[in-house]
Amino acid sequence: MSAFELFAIDFLQALVAGLLVGGTYALMCVGLGMIFGVMRVVNFAQGDFFMLGMYAAYYVATALGVMAVLGPYVGPVIAGLAAGPVVFAVGWVLHRFLVGRVTGVAAVGTEGEGHYAQIILTLGIALVLQNGGLILFGSLPLSIPTPMSRASWEIGELLVNQARTVSFGVAIVVALLLYLFLKRTPLGKSMRAAADNPEAALYMGIDVDRSHRTAFALGCGVTAIAGGLIASSQSFQPYIGFDFVITMYAGVVLGGLGSILGAFWGGMTIGLVQQMSTLVLPFQLQNTAIFVVFLLIIFLRPHGMFGRSADRT
Amino acid sequence: MLKIESLDVAYGGLRALDGVDIEVAQGQFVAVVGPNGAGKTTLFRAISGTVTPRGGSISYDGHDLLAVPAARRPHLGIAHVPEGRQVFPSMTVLENLEMGAYTEAGRRRWRDTREVVFQLFPVLQERQGQLAGTLSGGEQQMLAIGRGLASAPKLLMLDEPSMGLAPAVADTIFDRIQQIHREHGVTVLLVEQRVAEALESCDLGYVLETGRVVMQGSHDALIADERVRKAYLGL
Repeated sequence: MSAFELFAIDFLQALVAGLLVGGTYALMCVGLGMIFGVMRVVNFAQGDFFMLGMYAAYYVATALGVMAVLGPYVGPVIAGLAAGPVVFAVGWVLHRFLVGRVTGVAAVGTEGEGHYAQIILTLGIALVLQNGGLILFGSLPLSIPTPMSRASWEIGELLVNQARTVSFGVAIVVALLLYLFLKRTPLGKSMRAAADNPEAALYMGIDVDRSHRTAFALGCGVTAIAGGLIASSQSFQPYIGFDFVITMYAGVVLGGLGSILGAFWGGMTIGLVQQMSTLVLPFQLQNTAIFVVFLLIIFLRPHGMFGRSADRT
Repeated sequence: MLKIESLDVAYGGLRALDGVDIEVAQGQFVAVVGPNGAGKTTLFRAISGTVTPRGGSISYDGHDLLAVPAARRPHLGIAHVPEGRQVFPSMTVLENLEMGAYTEAGRRRWRDTREVVFQLFPVLQERQGQLAGTLSGGEQQMLAIGRGLASAPKLLMLDEPSMGLAPAVADTIFDRIQQIHREHGVTVLLVEQRVAEALESCDLGYVLETGRVVMQGSHDALIADERVRKAYLGL
């Protein structure tokens, strides 16, 4: 085999890996993008909702016996999806009692102060979740034991990891469902209206606080599903959220702050860049590559790929 | 229908409204005119619930409006077409109208109201699939009014509908507002800086200056009033 052929195979291999990883990253970013897009709140705790999603999936898979009943192939997927409703509920309660007090209608008129309170609050939630996780779950790295994470399908010369492929498929379906929800359903539309202009939405009779609560909980739940899916191909501990929150923000800003579609493609780009960079750079520089590309795109398009901050008032 | 009594609103230490009394009867066309900064927008915000008054009362259709949460007020039949149009830019024209029809009455009568809106503003029908953010200023104003109508309101509140529009476009908008009032029996509360146009079509007018009602009267009385003619009509 010539050197070129070898490179071509490596390239395709990295491309496929990038797409597969990118799919779950995209879903993770969509969760964060939704919270920022609808509420204009910078949620520092998003990485820790991702972590909660991983643990939720782990305990549903093992302690609740989903793996034992459904087997090691279907079990992890169902467990990953189950992380969604669990963390949705956590997000709902947190918004009801904490986040809602410093955001939305309550924060109107306290523009500057409102934002400071939001930043401190989400940072505080992040710390509580991380350290609470340490107490509850322990510091031992865990992973959802599925044979799929080590098995691959062979397509010609390419090896396609099974766990990642399944996660990719599920992530895309969830993202698509969320898209349809926002595009088609009355509740989804009213959430977009509240995102576009909360004051006008209020004049339409839309309960903006309830829209925000739904968006926050959904955003947490969606990111948690991404976590639950990734949990079957990566080991995790309570501090893993920190690694992912930075990637998540890079993806969301890359796609264009405020655009949920942008967050999807931003996350996909991050996955692709991370995996493709291994072609030319050492493995340890994966994250450096992400930020070099990030800076390049922001340099060329300050509003990101799908940015629409210009037409917002 | 709407009765505002000694309404006080303050931002910080600044008094925006100072003991304002305004009454709107069913089926009337009431105009509130006055210069910039007179408190006209604040008055509307107090009615809609986006500012909380310091004192006074607002009753609407037998409800104590100040006790009703802001998001519930449109469901009572109050449509607020805000200053600066404030359409939902990333949603289509039709979706904007659907948001107007978010109220219970609006949802029930959606098919009819949509036709009414499209008859009043045919351009909205032509552009129903277009994103509202890409419309011209005049079209956005039509959409904002159409969105208000889509809620099937009893009271339509219009805040400076002529703002930033070319005179010819503003005239069309005023014609449509009169048509809405005449043909569809909607009670109209209009706030305007274009005093002549606003007073021309109203049954009852109020002149608001620095947060106080300095004058009020019927259409004929205000048009004939020497001070109004001098200060606002340039006669």
